Amino acid sequence: MMELLAQTGLNAVYAASYISLVAVGLVLIFGVMGVINFAHGELFMAGAYAVVALYADMHLPFFVAVPIGMIFVGMLGLVMERGLFRPLKGNPLGGLVASIGFLMILQSLAVMGFGVRMEHIPPVTQEVWRISDKVGLPVARIYVIVAAVVLLSALWYFLKRTRFGWALRASAQDPEAAALQGISITQTARIAMFIGAALAGVAGALTAPLVSVNPHMGHSVIVTAFIVIIVGGVGSLEGAIIASVVYAFVHTFVTTFSDGVVADIVGLSLMLVVLIVKPTGLFGSADRA
Amino acid sequence: MTDFLEMRGLTMRFGGLMAVDGLSFKVAHGSIHGLIGPNGAGKTTTFNMISGFYTPTSGQILLRGEDISGLAMHEVARRGVVRTFQHSTLFAELTVLENALVGTHMPFRPNIFAAIIGWDREDRRGAAARAREALEFFGLGDLAEERAGDLSHGHQRALGLAVAYASHPDVMLLDEPFTGMNPEETRQMMELMRRLKADGITILLVEHDMQAIMGLCDTITCMSFGKFLAEGGPADIRHHPAVIEAYLGGARHVA
Amino acid sequence: MLKPVMFLLGAAALIALPHGLSFSQQEILVFLVINILLVMSYRLLTLTGEWSLGHVVIMGVGAYASALMTKNLGVPVPVGMILGGVTAALLAVLLSFPLFRMKGFYFLIGSFAAGEIIRLIWKRFREPFGGARGISGIDPMPDFSLGFYSFDFFEPVSYYYFAGTIVAVCLWVLWRIEKSPVGLTFHAVHWQDKLAQASGVNLRAYRTLAFAIASGFAGIAGALQAHYVGTVNPNSFDIEVMVFVLTWAIVGGTTTFYGPILGCVLLTVINEVVLRGMGFEQARPLFYGAIMILSILFLPNGLESIVQKILPRKATAKPDRKAAA
Repeated sequence: MMELLAQTGLNAVYAASYISLVAVGLVLIFGVMGVINFAHGELFMAGAYAVVALYADMHLPFFVAVPIGMIFVGMLGLVMERGLFRPLKGNPLGGLVASIGFLMILQSLAVMGFGVRMEHIPPVTQEVWRISDKVGLPVARIYVIVAAVVLLSALWYFLKRTRFGWALRASAQDPEAAALQGISITQTARIAMFIGAALAGVAGALTAPLVSVNPHMGHSVIVTAFIVIIVGGVGSLEGAIIASVVYAFVHTFVTTFSDGVVADIVGLSLMLVVLIVKPTGLFGSADRA
Repeated sequence: MTDFLEMRGLTMRFGGLMAVDGLSFKVAHGSIHGLIGPNGAGKTTTFNMISGFYTPTSGQILLRGEDISGLAMHEVARRGVVRTFQHSTLFAELTVLENALVGTHMPFRPNIFAAIIGWDREDRRGAAARAREALEFFGLGDLAEERAGDLSHGHQRALGLAVAYASHPDVMLLDEPFTGMNPEETRQMMELMRRLKADGITILLVEHDMQAIMGLCDTITCMSFGKFLAEGGPADIRHHPAVIEAYLGGARHVA
Repeated sequence: MLKPVMFLLGAAALIALPHGLSFSQQEILVFLVINILLVMSYRLLTLTGEWSLGHVVIMGVGAYASALMTKNLGVPVPVGMILGGVTAALLAVLLSFPLFRMKGFYFLIGSFAAGEIIRLIWKRFREPFGGARGISGIDPMPDFSLGFYSFDFFEPVSYYYFAGTIVAVCLWVLWRIEKSPVGLTFHAVHWQDKLAQASGVNLRAYRTLAFAIASGFAGIAGALQAHYVGTVNPNSFDIEVMVFVLTWAIVGGTTTFYGPILGCVLLTVINEVVLRGMGFEQARPLFYGAIMILSILFLPNGLESIVQKILPRKATAKPDRKAAA
């Protein structure tokens, strides 16, 4: 029993890693641009397919494929910013609708490019880090955890210690004041969009060898991301990370001791409860929704 | 009973800010009662508490002896207390008549089943008649088919009053009805209010226009910094030193 | 005089329509009719300013309810359909308690969550919902004869007439509601809620009323679909379908009564003619996605705004205006 708990705990840590990458990306986009990016799950999918193409099909080394995939998805983010969100600034419902349109396009492209079937790409490594006989964590999953910690730390450093990061935070807090201070809103929007998308993309890229890649994988990702950011608080990065951990643990444990569908129901119910009781979430600040 | 509407120790606190502090006054039935005070005195907040938009932090609002503080806006309206709004709340795209029809919601409560089948024709006629009556009262009868957004400012104000009047209110809370009116429009509006009073409607009026206040009101309550400052007839208030000081901080006539 | 004539001509055209089409096209027609009811019921919801993402699941509630009642309780199919609508409406009233505490964006997400939970419950529980495979072998409408016409529900044409009549009645009811004082109140609740409240309107009650009616009609649409297709499963009512409904409503526009119908018909026709004709079935989401984006960027008021520009504007302004009473 203890071992089952420990194993589930390790699995939860792994889940928390990629979920927090996705959620933080979504919060960043919402915080700076005030728009809900419904296509975020498809950006995750795009990262996964990038690795399918580069690593599985073209046989590039995994650790080359992942950064390329990340940058590719970041650029998709720039496309969205330029083509959708900038023309629709000030129209959040419009931005939402446009992002839904974009996700449908991405899904279709994936189907047309790769087919509907699930992809199982060769694992990066078969090694397992064993704590005991029954408890262990595949090294491939450890890569994901490490990458998440590194990337989120880098992001933290970027936001708190660099000028660009400071500009981002200022824009998120008060766009007009930021503009008056000479901060280019367009520039910060592009940076936020690139980073936000890249985070989703790298999560997809890193986990691609560990899941079955298919054009509809974005659906559960976006639902999870929304649950997390609602529970954590719509404008809060720290909230997103903490809520990711909470959600990952709840979901993983319920899945292990019951099943996946029940876990999904629990997660959605949690979000519903937060929406009813305290819509701004655990760490919610003044929201722009 | 002459104490139709009474505030007792009405207090409104927003976080650390005390917007209204222990306000008490009575509005007599069938009178026109003015509520004045410099900007920030808490008049609009008081208004919002009476109409149900805010729930008072403490204190009571008594309507015919019943405590209505904390009731929802539509509940307050259903007890006969209807308010108007300072900033435009009209349906610009609809006709003047359609706007007035909104005001007939309470006396002619719509029934959806009757509406679908078509049994509500009588009700609808009654509502339309009441709406036209209200428009006529405010001199808007000829404009019934006009687009509300095309009306002049003064007419839009009058329409706002007509909508409130259409609901057969006992009390009308008027939120700065004279703002932006020229002297001629002001004179006409004052005449309309006297006719409302003659109709038996009690009016509580928040206003900055002193000519209107002094010319219309039976009683005037003056607030300052959220507190009760003075109360009396126009003559008393006009010469009241505390009121003059609150407005001007000097010795000039308020007239 | 002109209006009734145009009406009759239109009705005649609709009655004659399926006879010029192939079998599969007739089937599309059946689904089109059902989808029109679905999107028009959604429009009622948007009239009070509520944009929900759970509407298609509510359609599914009507479908499942009717399927279960006719299959397990032996209820006659037409009664089952009505009860399906009633069930959906009652569920909406229940959902209004938690959901209407949320505004705007939060309501959108909350409605999605509530809908998804219901869908997952269908997926999870074999008893009675059939789990992921759903329910099959749903009773079809029993054939009957009207004297001048025999309904043989093996034929899509018959179901088209049947569903078309029901949908026409439902649309008539929706139209009557909108033109009534209740419709005016809905409009007020959406656009000037403070004025509405000051006139004694209970906002919550009216929003719930609109939600319940919209859900009831969505439930009927679901039941119509269930008894035509013969199966229901959770995937028939997932977010992808919801997005289609959203697209029809946004592309067509929701301000006028005919807007969403325009959107639905146009997109369905283009989907069938262009995509199926050209063999790009898979590209349907791509096509819809592109249309959605182009629509929101370049035609934000929907197709109905084009129609409104073509038709003559109603003259409301009188030539002379008096300055004062």
